[in-house]
Order: sequence, then C-alpha cells, then structure tokens
Amino acid sequence: MRCILIGFATIAAAAAAMTAVPAAAQDTVKIGFAGPMTGPVSAFGHEIERGMDMAVEAINAKGGVRGRKLEVVIRDDEFDPVKTVTAYRELIERQNVVAFVGSANSASMLAVTPLLNDQYKVPTICVHTDATAIIHNQAEASGRDNYLFRLGMFGSGQADFLVDSMVKKFGLTKIGLLTWSAGYGQIGRKELTRRLAELGLKPVADETFETGDTDMTAQLLKMKDAGAQVIMHYGTIKEAVAIFQTRQKLGDPMIPFVSSWGIAVPALWKAAGDLAEGTIDSNVVTTDGPQPPERQAIVEAYHKKYNREFDDPASFFDAYDAVMLFAIAMDKAGFEPPAIRAALEQIPSYRGAGLVVDHPVFTKERHEGYSLEDMLLGRWTNGKFLRVGYDAEGPFVTPSEGIKRHVDPTTFGLK
Amino acid sequence: MSAPILRALALIGLAVLLAVPLFVAGAYFKFLLILVFIYSIVAIGLNILVGYAGQFSLGHAALMAVGAYGSALISISLESIPVLAATGANVWIGMVAGSLAAGIAGTALAFPALRLKGPYLAMVTVAFGWMTWKVLLNWTSLTGGDLGVASIPSMRIGSKTFDIDAYYYFAGGAVAGAFLLQRNLARSDFGRKLRAIKHSEIAAASVGVDVHREKVVVFVLSAVFAGAGGALFAHIENFINPDDFQFYDSVFFLLAVLFGGAGTLIGPLIGAAFLTIAPEILQDAEHYRLIIFGVIILATLYALPNGVAGALLARLRREQEPRPSPRRAASGAPSGSRAPALAAVAQRPILTASGLAKAFGGVRALADVSLALEAGKVHALIGPNGAGKTTLVNILSGYYRPDDGHVAIDGRRIDLHSLHNAAQLGVVRTFQNIRLFGDMTAREHVMVGAELGARASMLDALFNTPRRRREQARREAIADELLALVGLAAHADLAGSTLAYGHRRLLEIARALAASPRALLMDEPAAGLVAGEIEALSTLILQLREQGLAIVLVEHHMDLVMQVSDVVTVLDYGQVIAHGEPAAVQRDPAVIEAYLGGADLRSFTFA
Amino acid sequence: MVFALQIILNGVATGAIYALVAVGYSLTFTGMRVLNFGLGMWVMLGGMLTYTLYVLWGLNIALAAPIVIVALTGLGVICERLTVRPFLKAGSEAWVMATLAVGLLFIDLAELIWGRDPLRVPGYLGQAVVRFGAFALYPQQILIVACTIAVFFGLDFFYYRTLPGRAFRAVAHDPEVAELMGIDARRFAALSYGAACGLGGFAGLMVAPVTLVDPQMGTTLGLKAFVVPILAGLAAPRGILVCGLAYGVLEGLVSGYLFSGVRDILACVLMILILYFRPEGLFGAPSVERI
Repeated sequence: MRCILIGFATIAAAAAAMTAVPAAAQDTVKIGFAGPMTGPVSAFGHEIERGMDMAVEAINAKGGVRGRKLEVVIRDDEFDPVKTVTAYRELIERQNVVAFVGSANSASMLAVTPLLNDQYKVPTICVHTDATAIIHNQAEASGRDNYLFRLGMFGSGQADFLVDSMVKKFGLTKIGLLTWSAGYGQIGRKELTRRLAELGLKPVADETFETGDTDMTAQLLKMKDAGAQVIMHYGTIKEAVAIFQTRQKLGDPMIPFVSSWGIAVPALWKAAGDLAEGTIDSNVVTTDGPQPPERQAIVEAYHKKYNREFDDPASFFDAYDAVMLFAIAMDKAGFEPPAIRAALEQIPSYRGAGLVVDHPVFTKERHEGYSLEDMLLGRWTNGKFLRVGYDAEGPFVTPSEGIKRHVDPTTFGLK
Repeated sequence: MSAPILRALALIGLAVLLAVPLFVAGAYFKFLLILVFIYSIVAIGLNILVGYAGQFSLGHAALMAVGAYGSALISISLESIPVLAATGANVWIGMVAGSLAAGIAGTALAFPALRLKGPYLAMVTVAFGWMTWKVLLNWTSLTGGDLGVASIPSMRIGSKTFDIDAYYYFAGGAVAGAFLLQRNLARSDFGRKLRAIKHSEIAAASVGVDVHREKVVVFVLSAVFAGAGGALFAHIENFINPDDFQFYDSVFFLLAVLFGGAGTLIGPLIGAAFLTIAPEILQDAEHYRLIIFGVIILATLYALPNGVAGALLARLRREQEPRPSPRRAASGAPSGSRAPALAAVAQRPILTASGLAKAFGGVRALADVSLALEAGKVHALIGPNGAGKTTLVNILSGYYRPDDGHVAIDGRRIDLHSLHNAAQLGVVRTFQNIRLFGDMTAREHVMVGAELGARASMLDALFNTPRRRREQARREAIADELLALVGLAAHADLAGSTLAYGHRRLLEIARALAASPRALLMDEPAAGLVAGEIEALSTLILQLREQGLAIVLVEHHMDLVMQVSDVVTVLDYGQVIAHGEPAAVQRDPAVIEAYLGGADLRSFTFA
Repeated sequence: MVFALQIILNGVATGAIYALVAVGYSLTFTGMRVLNFGLGMWVMLGGMLTYTLYVLWGLNIALAAPIVIVALTGLGVICERLTVRPFLKAGSEAWVMATLAVGLLFIDLAELIWGRDPLRVPGYLGQAVVRFGAFALYPQQILIVACTIAVFFGLDFFYYRTLPGRAFRAVAHDPEVAELMGIDARRFAALSYGAACGLGGFAGLMVAPVTLVDPQMGTTLGLKAFVVPILAGLAAPRGILVCGLAYGVLEGLVSGYLFSGVRDILACVLMILILYFRPEGLFGAPSVERI
C-alpha cells in the first residue's frame, strides 16, 4: 500500500506541473516544426529551422501578415515517430500552432498524417520527406480534405526523373541498383524498379547495403560482372563514401555513379573529397554555379546572418518557400487552419527561393509542389554541385559564367 | 517525510490521476500519461525479472516489438472477417495473441540465455534485440520494413471506438492490473523463491528449486508483460515502425527499473514516469537536453543505488518498527513427523558411493572412494585440507559428475545431474561458506526450503488464489517448527544477513531440513562456532539422527566428530585411508601421519 | 574464383578491425569481470581525436597515435573510478547503465565539439591503391591487419612473458589472492579498464581512414565487434584474433553470395547458438564454479 501511495504522489506532482495553463495567447501567429534537432541527422532539422526563421524575419520586416507577426516554434522529435506525435499534439493544443513545416522523417510523417487529417486539421507542408503515402493518404483517397502538402523531392517523382534522365538523356540502359536497406533506400528501390519496368527495362543488378557498411566489394563486383553502365544509388553519405572508396580500389574501368538527393549536400564533398568527382545527383535546387538574382540575395543573406555554409540548400529553400506560401495563404484567407489549407490550393503562381512556377503551386488533386520539370540533375565538379543542362551535343555543366563543359555519358567525366 | 503525509499526498495524487480526463481538455497531456502507463507495464515486467529474480535483459524492447507487431498484423488480417470487424473483437484477439507471441519469443530466448550468467546473459539479450530489429527492418513483405505498419485499428467495443479518454482509463486500468499482479507475485512463495534465486542460485538449488526452469518461467512472464505493453502501444499509436524498438529503447526500460528502484513495487512506475515526462519538461533546453538528462541519471544512480523508491522505502523503514507478524507459537507437534518412517529400511544404506573418481585438469581430487550411508547414522568425513572431502560432498549432492564410479540411492544406480535433482531424491547439503538469501527473514529462508512439497504454481501466485494461501500456510507451519527445532524461533522475523554467525549456520540447517531430506550432507558446520554453539550443534545432530536421517558430517572439530559420529571415513589426497568407529580411527597411525606428518608425534592424541 | 578471393581478402581486412575492437572487450572482462558496453564510444573518440590531431593540427601520425592512446587510457581510468567502481562496490547492476550512460554522453559531447557531419581522415600510408594481380587493397587496410597482429602478439607477450602481465592475469584469476600476494588489485583492475579504452581509441585511430569519423561510428562497430569475443571466448585473446578475421570473411561471403540484410541476423543467430552450446567460446576453457 505504501508503495502505491508514494508513486502516485510523485506522479501527481508531475501532473500538476504539466497541466499548468500555458501563457495567455499572444498576438503572434505560430508556425510549428517538430524534427530532429539532436542526433545524427540534426543538420537537416537545423537547416529547416534556419529556412523558417529567415522567411519569418523577411515577412515580419514587411509588417507581418494582416498586421500580425509570425513566430516559429520548434520541437525536437529526435527522429522518433512517437515523439513526433507527442510534439505535434503539444504544439497544436498548447501552442496553438496553425500550420506546420513537416518533420524530416518519413516514418514520423506517416505517424502524424492521420492525426492531422482526421482529428486536428492543421495544414502541413512537408519538406525533406520522401514517402508517397504521406501525401497520397487515406483522406485523399476518400475525397476528403487533404491537409498534407509537399515541397521538394518525393520518392516516386524522383525515381521517374532519375531513370528518365539516364535512359532518355544519357542513353544508358544497363542500370545497376545499389540501395540502402533502410526505408529511404527501399522506397527508392521499389520506385526505380517500377519506372524501369514502365520503360520496358530491368535492372541488370539489384544490390543492397546496410547502415555502417565500410566495404562494398561484393556488391560492386557483381555490378561489374553484370555489365552495368551506371550504378544508381539510393542512400546517404557515409555508405556512399564507402562505395566510392571500394570503387576506386577495384580500379578501372570505374562505373559511373548516379544517386538520389540523399547525398546532394555539401557534406558529401567534405567527406569524400575527390572521390566524389563526377557523381551525379538529383535535387531541386543548387547554390553553386550561376544563380538567379533573387536566390543569390537570399544566399548572401544566409552567409551574413549565420556565417556558415549550407548543410542542405534544398531543405533550407523548401522550408523558406513553405513559410512564404503559408503567408500568402493566410493573407488571403485568414488564420483558421482549414481556411489556410483551402487557400494553399488557390495560389496561382509563385516565384520563390527554391520553387519557381508559373502555374498553381498546389491544386486539389496535386499536393506536390515540384514536378519533374522542376527537378534537376547536378554533377559534383571540383567541390561544386553544378546543374546539368542539355544541348545538341548532350549533357553539359557550367563551371563558371560563360564556360561550358560537356559530360561524357559513359564515364561522367568532363570532355 | 513520514508515512501519513505520504499517504495523504498519494491519495490526492490518485484522485488527480483519476480525474484528469474530466478537467483536462486536450489530448497532449493525456497521451503523455498513456505512454507512461504503457511503458510502466513493460517496466513492471522487467522489474519482476531484474529486481526480483536478479536476472538481466537488454532485449525487452524487442519483446515489446513482438507484441506490437503481432497484435497489429493479426488485428489487421482479422479485419476481413465480418463478425470480428463488427464487434471490434479483431483488436482484442490481436492484443491477446500479440502478448502470447511475445511470451513465445521470450521462451525461445530464455532457454539458451538463462543458462548463462552476468555478462553473457546481457550479451545474448542484446543480440536478440538486435536480431529482432534487423528482422523487422528487412522482412519488408511482412513488417513493412522501415516504413512500418500504418492504419492499425483502434480498440473498439462494437461500433464505439475508443477515444483518448477511454484509452486513458483502459491503459490506467491495465497498469493498475499489472501492478497488482506484481504485488501478488512479490508476496507469494513464488516471489520468495525468485528472491532466493537472486541471492544464491546454488543455495536455492540445494533445497530443490529448479533454478533454470524458474528463471525461464519468470522470463516468459516478463516477456508477456512487455508484449502486452507493445500491443497496447500499437493500437493507441496506430502506427509502429522499427525505430520504436531499438537497443536504446531496451536501455530505457532497464534504466527506468534501476532508476525507479529495482525490486520495489512502485519503482518501475516512478522510473517510467520520470524518463518519459522529464524530457518533455526539458524541451526548451534543446541542445543540452540529452546531456542534462544523462547527467541527472548518472547522478541518481550514483547517489541512490537502489533507485528512488529504494531510497524512500529505506528511509521509511528506518522510521518504523518492524511489524510483528501474528504467529501462532510453534505447535509443539512431534518433530518425528518430519522424517519418513525408516524402520523398515533402517539397515539398508540410503546413499552409496562406489569407486568415485574425480580429477580437475591435472589434479586428482578423488580416487576410488566408496561410502555407504545408513539411515539414523552419522557418518563423519575427515581429512587434511585438500583431501577431497568437499569434492566428495559435491558429487554426492549432484553438483559434480564423477569421472568414474557411481552413486546409488536405495540401491539403485542414479546419475545425479544437479543439486536440485539430488534434493528431489532426498539428498540435501549445507555449505562450507554459508550461503543465505541476503536480507530475507529467517522464516522466509526456511519457507523457501520447503519448495519440494509445493502445490501452488506461478499462476496461483499471480492471482492470489486460495491454493496460494494454503501453500503459504503450509510453509509457514514448517518454518516455525524447524526454526523452533534449531532454536531460532525468536529470530524468525529478523533478516538473515543480520544474524550472528552461529545462528546463520543453524538457519542454513533449518532451511535444508525443510526440504525433507533423507540424507543431510553438512560441510564443516562447526567452522567459526564457539564452544557453546558447538554444543548446541551436537545436540541438534543427535536429534536429527534419532529421527532417522542419514547424516554426513565433514568436519575438523575432532571433539564434535567423536561425540556424534557412528562411523568415520578419513580421506587423504583423494583416497580413503581409514574407515571405522571413531575411537579406532583416532588411533590409526596412517591417520595421525596424514594430519601431522610424522611418526615422532605418535604420542600426540586428539584431546 | 577471383570474386571469392577478393571478398576474402577484404574480409580479412574488415575482420582485423573487429578483432582490434574486440580485444578491448576482452581486456575489460579479464581485468574486472565487467563488460564495457560503451566501448564503441571509445573507438569513436579515438577517431575524433585523430581527426583533430592529424588533420586539423597536422601532427605526424607517429606522434598522434601515442597521444591518442595515452589520453584515452587516462580518461578511461578516470571513468572507471567515477562510473564503474562505485557501482561494482555496491554490488548493483547499475554499472551497466553507467557505462552506457557515459557512452551516450560522449556521443553528445562529440556532436557538440566536432559537429554531426562525417569527417574524412586520409590514410596514413597514402591513398594509392595497392594492386597485386587481380586484387587490390588500400594501404590503410594492410596497415590495420599488420597493427592488429602486432597488438595481439604484443598482448600475448605481455601477458605471458612479463611480470606486470602475469600480475594482470593473477588479478583476473583471483583478485583477493592477488592482493594477498602484494598486488594492488584495484589499481590493476582500473588500469586494465583504462588500457581497454586506450586500445579502443587506437582501434578508432586505425579505422578512421577506412570509415568516416562521426559521432555515431562507434555504435554499430561496438555491437558488431561484440560477436567476436563471444565466438572466441572473452578470455582468449589468441582466439579473438582468429575469430575476428574469420568473422570479417564470413560477413563478406554472406554479403557476396546471399544478400546484406541477412548478414547481421546470421551473426546474431550464431552468437546465440555459441552462447548456448559453448558459452566459454570456441577457444575458451570451460570454467567450473567451486562451492
């Protein structure tokens, strides 16, 4: 008996602390983000936070939205779906968040999506999450209001883009798949295989690797034996570097390497150095090479404010754009979440930091902000991620203003 | 902080918890408490294993995962059966099935694992956890891999789906139920048996406890708790993926148990509550949150090695007199009822050893040793140190297997494979270095000793059945009687570790007697006793002899040997060098030489 | 054939890493009957410290290596004093949590100090691939194998041919009797713990050019290297070398002929089977508890 009583006394004390009513609602409008602020992928969490902060600053500098200032509220979910759900509940119920920039973990978003659509009804623009089922969820399937939107890369689209680029633009048909065993890699594998099949092709090799693997000899030897013209990769930096090292060790001819956007970040070059030269990735934006002036202005403001290089430009710009889009929607429809959601589907065009489109950003049927035309391939050239363009001679990159170097499709080397 | 104040606070706390759904509107806080309840259920299961039985597991997150995935997948697949889907029974069936699946997984793990001790056991549980996580991650067709299982149906009764308040009360009820089961277990003989195993597996085995089996049983029970927590988790979250069940989640549960107080009833709840709620409160500290958290944990482990509850209870215990338990005086029933009627077989040896040999590496401990023990006789075994006396006792009690020769009971050759096997056959021993059960009371010691006549099972203990209470009464009667026999009746409620050395010896004997032995092997019982205590021991041995027990007495105290023995066997360097009546052996020159090493001292006799 | 041999060759190189880390577990266990669950973190710290000394400050590797070893040995002794010994004395199981908690703290501190991105450490013998016939290895891999074998021979020599080594073995065997013989058992135990941490750091130093260094690098490596002393026997250093190499080869072959996902599961199953049928390991001696 004594035991029970002590225990409940402790819990009661904690309970009293937790149910304390939060401070009276201020006049700011809150946009929330629950993501990995600590742990191995916290770089993305912080980059998203920076994108949101800079956007909110820019908006508030012009007087806010409908006379009210915006505020960013951040929670750390440690990349754990259970904590994400808890964080979302707290942000909505106690912080009165009216809109979210989505968490950086597909599993987390899959966990909160039913809550957002069925119970809380708060619009969320996802950035940096791949899974199809987040956007194409049950609400969409049953014709109800879908509160989930996405900016940035998404699994199925990216696969289409990568495969189409290699097959149609680079003329390669013998593709070897090398995917990470974790969810991100497996989604990729499924989508890549699907797209290849739609084009009447099959991968000549289909290999996987585990987190933390340092040696890819077996997988790469099998690629060579199968005659792969290109290795198509879905994974993150650490293992990619192992792949590069093993590839170099196995010697010439080195099979060219194309990857999903998981490694299209400056950290790749920091980690791999020259080994990454020639790697081609998909992405939605790059800050290297010639830039449109609006984006250049933001890039310079970033350097000035944070005194650092980008960890992940795509996440930053998508988060920035997300907040901007929310502001546009709020300006039009007010601050009630369902109204914001409806207004998001009504934005006719948008010239933003990352996304630049002359057609509606989102429609009722399409909640993906980016489509294949907005994606790009980039080639790692001397530490820079340069956009790949195409002309009559084939693919090329622009190392600096006015200089054009063509890319050899069979080796990804510069001609 | 005294008991009445705590009581009042706790009642208030209980009322607050019950009323939460009434005055708190949002789901956030309720949801957090539900998580605490769920984690508490897993932690209670782990506490039974770690705190009471003294075992170890860093794989409980994996067992929780089996429960969660099992329940989720089964309820989803049962959804296609209309009658089940309509009543919501698919979820209930799934939850039960998931918990049982976790129990099965626990069995598969426990069998190999629990033969091991300490670090090896830890490693196996880690390996199991890791393997389960890998399977969950890679078997995508079944588990969905990294993207997990979504749209897990919520709990329902008929068409009424549980809302957050319903979940709150259900989870609260579940943890209350788990708590009660734990309490029943702790207060039962099964619980005492577990604690005995924790303190000394060998001593428990010597009185007939099948240690390995009990460890497996308690591990499986612990796994079922974990699975039940997992099943509840799946249907409340509606989404699970392998991220929730990693190595660090197993660490979380173990930490909750240790931090809260292993071996206390309330410890797991305190631990689970703190570890779940504290990070939420520390949200604003961002970067340093995990470091602060880690430091708090380390500091608490350092300052409160018995956990929060352990420290609180120790404080309370010091402020209270030990509650005198209402005991009837020893009924004075004739102690002769303890020993089986032996008149008919008085002459035939109960326990015989023939040609026993045992070597350890290059050391030959025993060579061709034979021995016959008869009921109602005291057979002393003497010899210089290293002669092999304890090795012989170890073989006779089943701890070692002989390299050669055999042991027979009632004339039938038998292969004793363990201490508890020997105890079941009526051979019980005491130890050269006293092995007690820590701070369990003297009465509890002897109650554990009465294991062999047990009629109540773990399930009786869990649900506090009448059979459990009858079993406890039986054991208490035996304990009181035996404690009176050895003269410890007044110390019955004292902790074994607080007893004087001489009393500890007597307690060990009383415990051994509770196992109703036909042959009692005592390894140097007089060591460390003073003259008066040796007298009492001598009287006791003679009493036991009267009752028809066959007694082996390994001893160095020659006066005692001479006083009580009927037969003396002398060992030296693993061989029998003399055998016969005490007086004759005493004068045997070979014996004298073995002890003293020279013919010059032939005039020296044992006083 | 070439396929298999190349895989085996790499497997030996990878296995040497496992063996080098595994010897840390063995050292702690023989010295103190304690399993340092946080050993992977010491490997990580070794790697991080190497990055700072060798890459950021440009020290010669011959100078950086002893600094890393000595620094981490010292830190290990301090940790033993603060986080293991108090719990061992109390007889509670909390030392498990303590070693784990310290490991977690290290990861967080490492993140704060070095950041979260993987960092590159160039090979100590250069980056030029060494080719012989159809096979190829990085010089760093060869260096790792050589160093691992040297470490094992060194330990062997230390344990069996030197007086302090014999003292270590005495303490491992029976600390009380060792004390009676005049050996300060507690100090030796602390030193063996510290030495294990130092060796872990050395493993991190060796491994850094092959994997990238980041705060998480120790976790998986620590877990995987666990398997080796189980297979071989916690108290059998010679066996650990053999089993470590064999394990690396096995991993490679399974990845090559089956698929990578199954690899770790097989390792776990193997570990559980060995623990059941032969808990003292393939090279260990069964121990009998005396009562």
